[in-house]
Amino acid sequence: MFKKVSSLLVVIFSFSISNDLYASEGSQVVHTHPNPLMVIPFVLLLLMIATGPLFYHQFWERSYPKIAIALGLITVFYYLFGLNDSHSLIHTAHEYVSFIALLTSLFVATGGILIKVDRKATPMLNVIILLFGSVIANIIGTTGASMLLIRPYIKINKNRVKPYHIIFFIFSISNIGGALTPIGDPPLFLGFLRGVDFFWFFGHVWYAWLPTLLLLVSIFYFIDTRNKNGEDPDTEYSGKIEFKGLKSIWYLLIILVSVFIDPGIMSWVPSLAPLPIGIREIIMFSVAYLSYKTAEIDVLKANEFNFDPIKEVAYLFVGIFATMIPALQLISYEANVYGQQLNPGIFYWATGSLSAFLDNAPTFLNFLSASLGKYGYDVAVKTQVHDFSIAHPVYLQAISIAAVFFGAMTYIGNGPNFMVKSICERAGINMPSFFGYLIKYAIPILLPIFTIVWLVLYYGKV
Amino acid sequence: MKSLKEVLNNKDFGLFYGNRILLPFAAEILKAVIERDIIMDFSTSDKGANYTIFNDYTEIYFYDYKNLLDVVSKYEMIKLVVVEKGKNIFDLSNHKKISLHLVENHKLTIEELNDDSLFIE
Repeated sequence: MFKKVSSLLVVIFSFSISNDLYASEGSQVVHTHPNPLMVIPFVLLLLMIATGPLFYHQFWERSYPKIAIALGLITVFYYLFGLNDSHSLIHTAHEYVSFIALLTSLFVATGGILIKVDRKATPMLNVIILLFGSVIANIIGTTGASMLLIRPYIKINKNRVKPYHIIFFIFSISNIGGALTPIGDPPLFLGFLRGVDFFWFFGHVWYAWLPTLLLLVSIFYFIDTRNKNGEDPDTEYSGKIEFKGLKSIWYLLIILVSVFIDPGIMSWVPSLAPLPIGIREIIMFSVAYLSYKTAEIDVLKANEFNFDPIKEVAYLFVGIFATMIPALQLISYEANVYGQQLNPGIFYWATGSLSAFLDNAPTFLNFLSASLGKYGYDVAVKTQVHDFSIAHPVYLQAISIAAVFFGAMTYIGNGPNFMVKSICERAGINMPSFFGYLIKYAIPILLPIFTIVWLVLYYGKV
Repeated sequence: MKSLKEVLNNKDFGLFYGNRILLPFAAEILKAVIERDIIMDFSTSDKGANYTIFNDYTEIYFYDYKNLLDVVSKYEMIKLVVVEKGKNIFDLSNHKKISLHLVENHKLTIEELNDDSLFIE
């Protein structure tokens, strides 16, 4: 299957490259707008992701890779032969490769680390883990923090774990936590690449990040204190925290450093354009291979390491990335047309609601472009993005907060959400369905919090 | 008939053929996790899995998979919560968590799950 798909993609991208060979990086590429009907494959894929596990589970489990690829190919062929636009495809392919390289390398490297915590599960200990994970998400990314902590978090709570434990983990560590640095979440990294200072996000987001997280963990604490399951007064705990496979920390460090190995940041780094892969991605895939080959067998066994969670993300997101191209281009067009009429509150809700269902990185970029356009700046010019971040910080702040926070609204809002779900299901935890997650948890818990953020920071601001 | 304890201590093998598993002890199966599937309905009305207890072995069919080798990889396992035949099913201390690893020549290793493993009953 992999071989067939990769051969097909090679053919498609070879075709794409021949068309775009002479498009220089700085040149403005103008394309025909896609037909609005071309969002149908994307909507269809989202609907199937939502309904498949519920109503036609076995068919979905067997067929989701083929469905995701087939729907993606509809969009690919439309762009190649209908619009004669291969530039959008190469650009998306590059974003997909970057996305999957980072996720794969962090997934494999953290799979080689085992953390054992022999402490009694208490609501306060869980709150500490959620807050700790949210902080380190800004250092090793939301994916790294999620993969590192989900297993010990389940083990600590093994006698009392409920779906809400995992949901709050996804809310905080897999999403909201990573809003303070460009390493935390991909949209912020795109902002950094475009000219926003590395520490800008910390300086302008922390006062939304901290109260949001504190409110979230307070709700968690309230719910968790009512969970009396599995309390055994006779069990003795040593209180020890044990780490195994520490050499994988070095691999994590290499991955983090490699994030910055980009021609846009370091001029000496060669660009491999028009290939949809860069030096950074090659390093990340190499680290993934090395960390897997050198990992301790005992640790891999204890972590029940296998590639299925990342394979699932890779398949589903290849479909999502391809089918969302028309949706994103139409949004970008509309945002630029109506940019003058948009205030920070509208940018906040528009970026957020789309980030919940689309990939948040390109959504962030489109709304950043629209907000820059409102003041006559160009998103392709680094100094102008930098000037904009200083002159009109409220717009960038609204877009950044929304892109990161709202990724927690659905399982597909952010890469690690699905991986955490998959690991938990393999551990025997019955996770809520797509709609169950949205209706029982995300809407009643997150939406009021995000509304408060809007009321405090953006309501009435022009 | 061998007890589960004897099977675990002697490291006795089970067997697998395609989607069929044979465990060398007789036991009720309460929960099975294979891949991401959590199976708790072993009734004939649900297609997922079904088991039969014989005098000295237990047979399980996982109907949703043609070949278990295709879905259970090297470091993965099938996890079961079992209660040995004849023991009080309502006594939670009799609920044993075991893991099954598929090895070569249709052999199936059976181990008691330790604290490191993630398996929530």
